[in-house]
Amino acid sequence: MSITAVEPWVEIPLRKFVEEARTVLGLLLHPSGQVIAQFGFARAVDVMSACALAAAIHASAGELGKQLDGKPFRGLHHPGRDRQLFLAEAATPRGTFIFLTVFDQESSLGLVRLYFDEFGKSLAAAAPPAPRRVEPVLEERFEHELNRNLAALFGRG
Amino acid sequence: MKSPFASILDALTRQRGVRASLVVDENDGIVVDSNLQIGQDGDRVAALAASLYRKARLSARAARLGTATFMQLEAQRGRICAAGRNDLVLVVVADPAANIGMIRVEMIKAAGGLP
Repeated sequence: MSITAVEPWVEIPLRKFVEEARTVLGLLLHPSGQVIAQFGFARAVDVMSACALAAAIHASAGELGKQLDGKPFRGLHHPGRDRQLFLAEAATPRGTFIFLTVFDQESSLGLVRLYFDEFGKSLAAAAPPAPRRVEPVLEERFEHELNRNLAALFGRG
Repeated sequence: MKSPFASILDALTRQRGVRASLVVDENDGIVVDSNLQIGQDGDRVAALAASLYRKARLSARAARLGTATFMQLEAQRGRICAAGRNDLVLVVVADPAANIGMIRVEMIKAAGGLP
């Protein structure tokens, strides 16, 4: 399966996750909705909408968790008829990322959770130290950066 | 409060050499109930054993062998046994010296009682 990543340090942990968990689609993104890596997607537009939806779901679920449980929910699982979705946070020295993956009957929620835990640890270990000053994602730059990342993933500069 | 599976798990755990016994959802690979000795990672065993059992069951069906009743995996330092019914799988982790015949009988009997 083809894996593409904007930040190269993500690729090895992600490849290991795909090989072990046998999921069919995956996205790693910033909580702002900026894509970092993907596998299984054929079109940039699908990545763009999946990132926007994943960021929105993550924000809503986080807030709901805070209200109900005093802290954000750790993960979210949606079972469908043929495919299921798992979305969770991965904390690294570079900051927190959102990971979304879709799986079918070749995998299971138990396997996805198991390998996601390992993926989170490898991602944290592989992450280079955070830059001293982190630039906030500004609204005026958001689209430009999103397009730059999509171009890097889908080879259109 | 005890789960409906507590008596099944207690009976399996009483067998000599049994380190862990679990009831697992076959499709999700998630633990429904378990009796674990210290050091056993129930979630990990459940996810992998359910996946293995599911594939064994599908292989048996593909080879026209009928319904899989019991699966045993022998490893250097122990065994994993699984028996299922409907969407549930009973999983036992046992020492190499465990009486596997007795465990097998108990597991097949217990699997018959799964809902």
